[in-house]
Order: sequence, then C-alpha cells, then structure tokens
Amino acid sequence: MDARDSIESPAMTETNPDPQTSPQAGATAGPAISVATKSPAAGLRGRRDVGTVELQGLHAYYGSNHAVRGVDLGFAADQVTAIIGPSGCGKSTMVRCINRMHEEIDGARAEGHVLLDGLDLYDSRIDIVAVRRAVGMVFQKPNPFPTMSVFDNVVSGLRLSGASRSEMDDRGREALIGAGLWDEVKDRLKGPGVGLSGGQQQRLCIARALAVEPEVLLMDEPCSALDPVATLKIEELIGELKQRVTIVIVTHNMQQAARVADTTVFMLDGELVEVGPTDKLFTTPDDERTEQYVTGKFG
Amino acid sequence: MATATRTQYQEELQRLEASALDGLNLVNSALERTLEAIQHQDVELAQIVVADDDRIDGRYLEVHQSLITLLATQSPVATDLRLISALLHVLKCVERMGDQCVNICKVIPLTGNEPPADERMVQLILGMGKQTRALIGQAKRAFCERDVELARDLVRQDDVVDDLNRDGFRLALEIGDDADKREWAMTMLLAARAIERIADNAVDIGEQVAFVVTGLFREFEDASHPSG
Repeated sequence: MDARDSIESPAMTETNPDPQTSPQAGATAGPAISVATKSPAAGLRGRRDVGTVELQGLHAYYGSNHAVRGVDLGFAADQVTAIIGPSGCGKSTMVRCINRMHEEIDGARAEGHVLLDGLDLYDSRIDIVAVRRAVGMVFQKPNPFPTMSVFDNVVSGLRLSGASRSEMDDRGREALIGAGLWDEVKDRLKGPGVGLSGGQQQRLCIARALAVEPEVLLMDEPCSALDPVATLKIEELIGELKQRVTIVIVTHNMQQAARVADTTVFMLDGELVEVGPTDKLFTTPDDERTEQYVTGKFG
Repeated sequence: MATATRTQYQEELQRLEASALDGLNLVNSALERTLEAIQHQDVELAQIVVADDDRIDGRYLEVHQSLITLLATQSPVATDLRLISALLHVLKCVERMGDQCVNICKVIPLTGNEPPADERMVQLILGMGKQTRALIGQAKRAFCERDVELARDLVRQDDVVDDLNRDGFRLALEIGDDADKREWAMTMLLAARAIERIADNAVDIGEQVAFVVTGLFREFEDASHPSG
C-alpha cells in the first residue's frame, strides 16, 4: 500500500453543499478530494516522505478581530516546529487553522490556504473529518474521554472509522508504545482513562491521536498542566515522534521550545516576525523584536 | 508591545559585566606595579603584587559564580547568553593576566638586589608593558562600547608588543658572556614573554567583543596559520 493512499471514508465523498457558507476563501466546486495519510503498513515505524504543511496568506478572524494577519509559513516533515510569542499573538489560532478547528468557534473564520503535501485543506471539496484525522491535535489539558477505558480511549478514533477488532488491538497497542505509555498501562487497559496521572493522561491523548496515524500532530501547550517530570517525558516523546509525524507545538515555555524544536517561529500581534533554526533564534535572532522577546525584555 | 520585564535580571547582568570588566582595571594596576618593580628591582613591591593577586582571583570566583547562578536561574538566551559566555571568557583572561604578573614578580628577586641590568633591555620591557597596559584599556573600552573595530585594532597594537618581544631575544643574545648578565637576561626574557601573553589575552577579549556583537566567534588572527 502506498503511503499516499487515501482514507476510505463515506464522509469524504460529500462536497460542501453551499460554497457561500464555507469558512474558507478560494473554495472550488468539483469532485471530493481525499486527504493523504500513511498506510497502516507504514504504521508508526520508520521515516516518512509526507507530512509537509504550508500556510499561504493565512488570515484568521474572530468576528472583526483580525487575529492572524497574512502568514506564509512552511512546516517540514520529520521536524518539530515550535511557535512562540506573547499571549494573544495568534499562535494558537494559527495552529488551529491547520486542522480547521478555528472555524468551529462562533464568528470565527479563516482565509488563505493551508496545504498538506500540496493539497489545500481549505478546498471546499475536502472532508473536514479526514482533515482532522490527518492532522491530530493535543490540547493544553489532557482530555481523555471520561467514560472510556484506557484502551477504548486510544482506539476511539479507529472505532469511528470502522476498524476491525484485531486492527484496533494492533494499532492501539502500537500507539500506546509510540506514546511511551504501554509499559505503564499494559496491565490496566480496561481501567478508566481518567484514572491515570496527568502526565499519563496527556500521553494517552497523544496515543489516541497517533492511533489514527496522522501526518501532522498539533500540540497546543501540551505540558502547561503537567509537573516537570511529566513535562520531560512528553518532551522526550516529541523527539521520538518527529520521525513519524510532523509536529507543530505552541508553547509559552521558551526553554521547552529551545529543547524540543528544530525550527522556531516567533509571532507578534498576529504576524510572523521570525522563523529559523531553533539554536539560531535563541542565540542570534535577526529581528530586534525576537531578541527583545526571547531575552524577556517584554512579554 | 507588552510591558518591560525582568528588570532585576537585567540590572544584575549589567552589574556583573561592570564587575568583570573592572577586573581589567585590577590587572592594569598589577601590571603597572610589576613594571615598577622591574624598573627599580623592587622586591618588596613584587611581593605585594603576588599577594594582591588574591583580589583578582577573588573577583574571578565571585563574578564567575554569579554568572553560573544567572545561567541556572534565568535561562538567558540571545544577546544575554552571548554576553554571559563572553564574560566567562573575559574572567578567565583576567585571572590569567593576573597570574602572569605574579609569574614576573616571582622571578624578580632571583636576580638579587643589584643585578647587572642592561638599560636597553629594561627600557624594552617597560615599553612592552606600557603598550600592553594600553591594550588592556582598549580591550575594556571596546567591550563596554561593543566596538568591534576598536576590538580588531587590538591585533595591530599587539603586533607592536610581539615585535618588542623579538627585539628582546636579540638583546639577550648580544648581552655577552658574563654568567650573571646572562642569567639576568634570561629572567627578563621570561618577564617579556609573560607580558606578551598578557597582550594576547587582551586580544582574546577583543574577540569576545566581536562574538557578543555578531554572534560569530572567529579568532582575529590564527597563530597556527599566520597569514604572513
């Protein structure tokens, strides 16, 4: 099976019934377009050749509030990219545009293009469910489904896609191993997901995202609710996962960005100020505003 | 833009920079007294220089520890990180410059109270010392003002010291067959070599100025691959 094989999903055959109400600009009519994913055979092993994301002229609004102002930015596959910037700079909003979560908020809309391996995720023919399967997300607070067991949490996405029992068992286990959680929970897979510690719950959420084998994993301050040890485990995990999934992490913790990211992006007032290799951005930034921010002269 | 932050940290960093660079004043003072001890064969003054080196070492330890604390507690980055890295280097240079003065002052008594001094050699060493003191002052000014051109000019000034050092070798060879004179000349060559190293340390500090400003570390001159 080719790595570019598409997800078979009935929902993906639907086209947007009314392009006028579509939240995105540039929508075009036509046949349904599939979102590329890895094959199960590619699994969570080995390097990938897909998963590049490119933002082109991305704008995001909350009503009249212009939160993201024309961002052009690429996220390379097999890399961790950190987004830093003061509160309200638009970093979370920008990331939520990548898997089209932003438009779920009342009055929110996005303009421009988000390309996943060249495919415009804001094309009207794209199925949003498939987008969110290809672009997983981990949030600030761990949010396991409270009524589900550890294992059911992990395979919940697979179950929705109609995976067989044996497939769920294999991929669920693989996802837990991938999230560095298997050894800690293998004897309590039937126990409640919310019974795990905060750090374990967050890794459970990462496993849940990994189980559907996304191309991209968005992490919105994934460690802000965790203690230092749990934080370090997540950071180590990020380093391991980047060979399997493109990672974009929003963080307020600049040291975390420095530790985990290959590339760091600095945003201010909805605009992209500077993008560069992390070591360069934290030692010799080009832009004076970046210098001022990373050295803590404003924040 | 949001409000200014970390003022205490910035003030502490400024204080430590001033304290580290003030170490160069201590060195300049030690070198001045070292030269005076050479000129007048003043063994007591030489002993004072040796004892006073504790002040330079103390400054090194105090500022070094405070910089390590800043690294541990404030996670400095960008210019701040480069500055702290450079200051650690400057401190090491300051400590070594002080040690070179001690090295000179320890050999001064070896030649006795009334050595068979050659006036040309004494004047040459005093000239080296004067030029080196100017280099130390220039290195400090270049650092304070983040003046890369002034820092680069230290190489040119250092060449004067190097030339004088070579002249010292020629003078020592010409000093004759008298055993006492030759022993004294050997001692003076050690002093000249120590002063020449102090000047090199001043150039090292200049290289740190360039690092703080540009983020790139390059030796101004590669001693192992001279350009000719």
